[in-house]
Amino acid sequence: MIPGTTRGRGLVSGTAEGEVLVSLKAFTFAHGVDPATGVVTDIRSDIRGSNVRGKILCYPWGKGSTTASAWFLETVRRGNSPAALVTEGVDLSAVIGSVMARVVYNKNIPVLSGVPAARFSDLKRGGVLFVDGATGEVVIK
Amino acid sequence: MRLDSNQERILAGEEGEARQFAMEIVTKVGDAVDAGSLVPIKSAHVLAHYSSLHDAGVEVLERFAEKGGKFKVPTTVDPASIDLQGWRSFGIPEDYARQQFRLCDAYTKLGGIQCWTCVQYQVCNFPKPGEAVAWAESSSVVFANSVIGCRSNKITSGMDVACAILGVTPMFGMLADENRVAKVAFRASFGKFSDLDFRSLGYLIGKKAGSRVPVLEGLPSNVTSDDLKHLGASAAAAGPITMIHYLGITPGSATFKDATEGEKVEQIDVIRGDLEDMEEDLNQTNDKPDLVALGVPHLSITELGYLAKLLEGRKMRKGIRMYAYTSSQAFELAQKTGILSDIQAAGARLSQSTDAEISPLKKLGFNTVLTNSAKLAEIVSSEGEVQVRYAPLRTIIDEVTS
Repeated sequence: MIPGTTRGRGLVSGTAEGEVLVSLKAFTFAHGVDPATGVVTDIRSDIRGSNVRGKILCYPWGKGSTTASAWFLETVRRGNSPAALVTEGVDLSAVIGSVMARVVYNKNIPVLSGVPAARFSDLKRGGVLFVDGATGEVVIK
Repeated sequence: MRLDSNQERILAGEEGEARQFAMEIVTKVGDAVDAGSLVPIKSAHVLAHYSSLHDAGVEVLERFAEKGGKFKVPTTVDPASIDLQGWRSFGIPEDYARQQFRLCDAYTKLGGIQCWTCVQYQVCNFPKPGEAVAWAESSSVVFANSVIGCRSNKITSGMDVACAILGVTPMFGMLADENRVAKVAFRASFGKFSDLDFRSLGYLIGKKAGSRVPVLEGLPSNVTSDDLKHLGASAAAAGPITMIHYLGITPGSATFKDATEGEKVEQIDVIRGDLEDMEEDLNQTNDKPDLVALGVPHLSITELGYLAKLLEGRKMRKGIRMYAYTSSQAFELAQKTGILSDIQAAGARLSQSTDAEISPLKKLGFNTVLTNSAKLAEIVSSEGEVQVRYAPLRTIIDEVTS
């Protein structure tokens, strides 16, 4: 992995650093992540079986039920949420879930969008990212 | 996003914590989608079922209520995860019911209309063409944009309550004229429609349209609003669709040119074989069912009357249950008009204020569900816990009754 910096768009502010987890397919928390464990359960996901807990979770865009925000929030309530969400297209369930997480559980989970899909394939092999939801900055460590 | 001075005050917390929380959600979404401003809505429709909202959703809704939140516009609510009247008789565990009732209490405190249905537009929420609304529940959003001609985006859980409390929604997506133009055309070229065909056709449109708004030609002239309800629900279950131009039905879409604004679009002919492919997709098993689930989305009183007629003189076979899901309002009418007792006489049950896809089917011991709902088949299959068979209503009745 080549160290470097890329810039997306910050949607919810805050900073986070953690191991990266990349899905190259549309992603949803709704019926897709078990909030009790953080494990990805969606049978159509390419990262089924991985755990989102504490990760910088990257995916191209959201899909499916409008309740994904609530499923995401339940992972926060149970302490199994990702540390940050980085997407290509805007996923409103990520934005809404993150705002609720800050207000209700005092937990800051930055959300960024506009990070090109090509970057995802570079990152797929793992590594550590630092993200800043205020500036949209993503630093590959 | 531009906020007026009143909206700035709300965001600063000057109208209390509930409205501040709501404004934080709405402005973050507005910024994310590049909405220029917030626009007033005439009604809201929110989600408050425990199966998807979990304990976190209970705590969010209670927080809104405890911090003094009140719905600013008429607000209706999607089905609960349990039959709110008869939950014990359906075998729902006590602790599960308790969490659902916490959601109910918070919703009541916020001033919501107690309808608990996904077909609020057939029961208690009646916008007129052109009005902006903020509805969650994907199938009702398709009905709103396509049949009523009002304007709604598919509102995400959490934001639904925020919009209802503020009486506004960000100006984006389906609220803007330019995003409502049809970009792909479907023509139904398979002759006569069965009940299943409306659903399979909707499912196909949902799969093939992607993010493009479709226009549909070739519906029979006697198509009912119930048929359109199921068509739209199936489309929304299969893809991101929020509107279908039904030629001659959708307000403002009398002609093909109206729907596409004269632009050239891809044309897709749908033949019988295409529908059969969809049926095959949705049909996951040939096992004997232990539950027949009808009414995803909720059946109207007309549909319940038709079901009672089909069941006349028949009896459910042993080992198979039939639940027909409906609103409390249609349930009451069915009670008054004898439809309920006719359905019960056949050994089937009506379940009110809940629906199959949001009730804990696996917990209740069901493994194989038989349905004519493409929406139910799609949702349940993605979870993988319960197997679904997908068949027309008449076939179902013939198979499970004697």
